[in-house]
Amino acid sequence: MSQSGEIRLKGVSKSFGDTHAVRDIDLTIANGSYCCLLGPSGCGKTTILRMIAGHETPTSGEITIGGQSVVGLPPVQRGTAMMFQNYALFPHLSVRDNVAFYLKMRGVRKAERRARAGEMLERVQLDHLADRMPAALSGGQQQRVALARALITNPRVLLLDEPLSALDEFLRLRMRSELKSLQNQLGITFVHVTHTQPEAIALADLVVVMDHGEIVQADTPEAIFTRPATPYVARFMGGQNVVTGTVTSAEAGEIRIAGKDGAFVAIDPKGEGAARDATIAFSIRRDRILLTPASGEVAAEPNLVVGSVEEIEYQGSFVKVTMGRDGEPFVVHVPDQVFFATPVAVGDRVAARWQAADTHIIDRPVGAEETFVYAEEVV
Amino acid sequence: MAATGTRRDWSFWVLAIFFGLFVVFLYGPMITIYVLSFQGPTGGLTFPLQGVSLKWFGDLFGQARTGDVGGAFSRSLPLALAVMVLTVLIAVPAGLAFRRNFYGSTLIFYAAIASLIVPGLVLSIGTLVTFNFLGLPARWYTSALGAHLSWTIPFGLLIMFAVISRLPRSYEEAAYDLGASRFQTLMLVIVPIVFPGMIAVALFGFTLSYDEFPRSWLTTGPKNTLPLEIWTMTTNVTSPSLYALGTVTTLISFLVIALAIGSIAIIQRRRLRAGG
Repeated sequence: MSQSGEIRLKGVSKSFGDTHAVRDIDLTIANGSYCCLLGPSGCGKTTILRMIAGHETPTSGEITIGGQSVVGLPPVQRGTAMMFQNYALFPHLSVRDNVAFYLKMRGVRKAERRARAGEMLERVQLDHLADRMPAALSGGQQQRVALARALITNPRVLLLDEPLSALDEFLRLRMRSELKSLQNQLGITFVHVTHTQPEAIALADLVVVMDHGEIVQADTPEAIFTRPATPYVARFMGGQNVVTGTVTSAEAGEIRIAGKDGAFVAIDPKGEGAARDATIAFSIRRDRILLTPASGEVAAEPNLVVGSVEEIEYQGSFVKVTMGRDGEPFVVHVPDQVFFATPVAVGDRVAARWQAADTHIIDRPVGAEETFVYAEEVV
Repeated sequence: MAATGTRRDWSFWVLAIFFGLFVVFLYGPMITIYVLSFQGPTGGLTFPLQGVSLKWFGDLFGQARTGDVGGAFSRSLPLALAVMVLTVLIAVPAGLAFRRNFYGSTLIFYAAIASLIVPGLVLSIGTLVTFNFLGLPARWYTSALGAHLSWTIPFGLLIMFAVISRLPRSYEEAAYDLGASRFQTLMLVIVPIVFPGMIAVALFGFTLSYDEFPRSWLTTGPKNTLPLEIWTMTTNVTSPSLYALGTVTTLISFLVIALAIGSIAIIQRRRLRAGG
């Protein structure tokens, strides 16, 4: 077995009866990287994880780990270990016996497996609870046991199915940083399924955004956040206003767009231009917008949206101001100092301005079939 | 509490009386029989007690026995144990099988439920007629055993449904992930987790068979099981021996339950101590 934990999926599809859970996926996860599969429930991310783990067989396509085809192999021969969403700790075995289960399956003698399980528990700081039953542990402790039980197999790939979703907010943040430092220490590949955007951004080297069984964008967190490939990604990642409009003129380095709210100018970094009259979508980060009170008529100018304040939400380091627009709200994140120096109130007319360079043109043209399934608003 | 000065709502008293009546009707007849089984030597089938004695228990086992109680018991107990073992061996794997949606699972489920609905006496006749047709004699260890199983297996299956509804598939997947074979997964993970449910299935199998009347009626052949013997005695025995028999059979039932629960406790304690 090669020691490399590089995972390649080539043309992988999975259907359950008439339902296509995953369609024709191509993905490479580099050895030793931290990859987050991100998407709403039912997008196929868990199915991909389970296919890598060997708990589902692809309907078609090829999966290799470290260059070796693994379809049809049991998990132990793949060098993968999985941490289940509900941890799946065996309720009838003590913490130590849960961790030692893998060694018992391999026929390791009792004294040795007890010692090795003890060492692994020490590593997750749970050696003092080794004789407890899983039901007597807190959620965070159970998670550590599950982690220890997976790591004792000495895997080259660790698969985590929504590992943090059962924890409360405080514990989630702590375990998040522990997972990251553990991955740094071990240097093995982590594949982590989540539906929480901040989790993916904070942890991953590679974020894979999925929708309806397909990969929409796979890139670094920074690229996903600042240069979303589709309106779906922009909306799902949050922190952006997504606007659609018609191209009125396209010159080298600059595109002018007419939207419902007026004229926008966007810097075209690729210099490819855009077809006149094409409908394109673009995004503007909420924290790159300047909000000023607008008394009286405001002369139309590019990169300006005028509206009235509909909602104000204090978020600590910034204030989330929502302006009313047709269809979709336009949200501005105002730094708290700025906001409290010149506060606005619900009902006030305000003008929002930004730099042309902060307008990101979303590559893919918007078709009529573009759907947005994830309705939850993300701060 | 009343001591704190708050008055009880009227609904408390209505429900308390209702519950009291429930308990009286549930345990009253049983306790009456247990008490009357200690009737004095000159006493009869009804109150008042004419002193206290163990005479009627002696009659049960002594020379002057009132029916073939010992013989009936020597058939009922092995029958109930056989039914218990077979019910566990069939209902538990069947319940586990229902976790996968295999072809025809719905049909089998409805067929099993149907055999709970069929009146026991009708089933008894049907079993006898079938055995006659096949030229087989009705015996407690063949036809009665089958008739009892048609009653206990669906029961066991329903208990298993309740057990497996709390058994997520991820336990098996975790075991598979950690290198366990299917057999190891079954023996080291699934069976220990569903073990209390298996005891419940066993207890139901035992008690349903041990006190089964309608399905035994025509299927036991020439020699009676205990419930049939007791029924026969009610028609021709007029001494408190009948009550003594009730007390003894109840004690045996309690003994079986205590053994079952005790064995669960012992196994769990040993498992905790042994580790590894």
